[in-house]
Amino acid sequence: MDGRVTISELEKVYGEGAERTKAIEDLSFEVEGGEFISVVGPSGCGKSTLLYLIAGFLDTTSGTIAIDDEPISGPGTDRGVVFQDYALFPWRTVFENVTYGLEEDGVPKEERQSIAQKYIDLVDLDGFEDKYPKELSGGMKQRVGIARTLAYEPKILLMDEPFGALDQPLREALQDQLRDIWNDLGKTIVFITHDVEEAVYLSERVLIMTRHPGTKKTVKEVGLDRSGSREDIVTSDEFAEYKNSVWKSLHEETQTEVTL
Amino acid sequence: MDVTTDAKGGFDLSRLVEFGKSIYSLVIVLVLWELVGQFELIHYYFLPPLSDIIIRFVELTLSGDMLYNAYLTLYRALVGLAIASVLGVIVGVLSARNDLVDWFFDPIIKIGYPVPIISLIPVFMLWFGIGDLSKIIMVAVGTFWPVAVNARDSTQQVQQNLVWAAQMMGTSDRRLLRRVVLPAALPGIITGFQIAMPLSLIITFVFEMVAGGGGLGALEIQGVRSFQSAQVYAAIIAVMFIGIGLDRGLRLIRSRLLHWT
Repeated sequence: MDGRVTISELEKVYGEGAERTKAIEDLSFEVEGGEFISVVGPSGCGKSTLLYLIAGFLDTTSGTIAIDDEPISGPGTDRGVVFQDYALFPWRTVFENVTYGLEEDGVPKEERQSIAQKYIDLVDLDGFEDKYPKELSGGMKQRVGIARTLAYEPKILLMDEPFGALDQPLREALQDQLRDIWNDLGKTIVFITHDVEEAVYLSERVLIMTRHPGTKKTVKEVGLDRSGSREDIVTSDEFAEYKNSVWKSLHEETQTEVTL
Repeated sequence: MDVTTDAKGGFDLSRLVEFGKSIYSLVIVLVLWELVGQFELIHYYFLPPLSDIIIRFVELTLSGDMLYNAYLTLYRALVGLAIASVLGVIVGVLSARNDLVDWFFDPIIKIGYPVPIISLIPVFMLWFGIGDLSKIIMVAVGTFWPVAVNARDSTQQVQQNLVWAAQMMGTSDRRLLRRVVLPAALPGIITGFQIAMPLSLIITFVFEMVAGGGGLGALEIQGVRSFQSAQVYAAIIAVMFIGIGLDRGLRLIRSRLLHWT
């Protein structure tokens, strides 16, 4: 299992003529297979656009995106997206949401059930299999979203501010759960967020984007020792250092925004 | 001892009392009606006492006239509505999914929806006669618009994220409609049916009043023409019950199909 994402000279333009806006310009970077990378940037910098381009939902204007050296054309089951607004199928139960990808893949029923159960258990949703999305809280919905995406075993998880709509304690719980999942399953994760602390806490590298049009400003390595508890990590000096350095870099961008 | 029993106990007095409270005002109106009729405060021809209407209703039911005419009205309304439902959903969903279909149907829908369809009754009589066929076609044409428009709009409004989520999990474009678009649009499609249903009764009823050929509309107009006011109101009450019954039925179907909303 690899899951390397190579982005070269990516450009994305929306609209035509007077409405023409460049969302992303000359963006090149590589995500290693199995790496956890966060993307932060001022609002409107095209970070969600970037994620949807990697997902294959949107077409690139120019440049290429390749998964393990294979250029992508449209969405594929090697990638899985976790949406900020969950995008669960409301007419399907938790269990049926999680089995959806397996049904599409033609996995036999019994196998489907055992795989789905495994991932439902992984995100601590056992007992909620027969509930419909409307009966769940936001945090539970997003755990269904994660289980549904993990269930068909994509190599790469693309996460679009997945915890953005959740309150702080819930967000922290899900962050820790996601770290555990990443440790256990070793997937490539591209994580979009506007929360610097979240980016530093979760990922090994943070890509900071410039504001409009979005391109790579810099990439910060996060060499945190994550063996301890959350409290140990977030109160450590090195965590503060990494956070400050990402924050400063990002802040330069938001400053430009204000003075312009 | 508590006279009321819980949900499992079957008879629930408190619920009966609640129901009684909810129709108090209706009971008062009905009693006033009876009194006005009995004391002939309004001429019998305009408003017979309620009891006379009920007696006439029972007579018509026992003779079989009521059921036969109700059957005719229901048959025409429901067959027309069924045709409109099938065609309306197909046209609406395809319009939302295909630019060429939308290009063709959008102007037609824009013009067709606002037309007061019963103004075309004389034209329909000219073209299709005064029988069942003519009435069924008019119901189908008249109820097509709300079904098509609701199907189109709710299909267009299916969240892009749901479609993306399905595509990402391997759903092909061909299967997308059945797997995601239709289930997601179903609440709006059923809303279209709910709007079209009373319309189908109105169109049938009016057409029967104008063209005859049996049915509750014809039964009513026959009552007017033969100075049998009680029959007029008996026909109105019958179509009212049918309307309520169909509405309840559709609501039940809706809650069964859409228990997840």
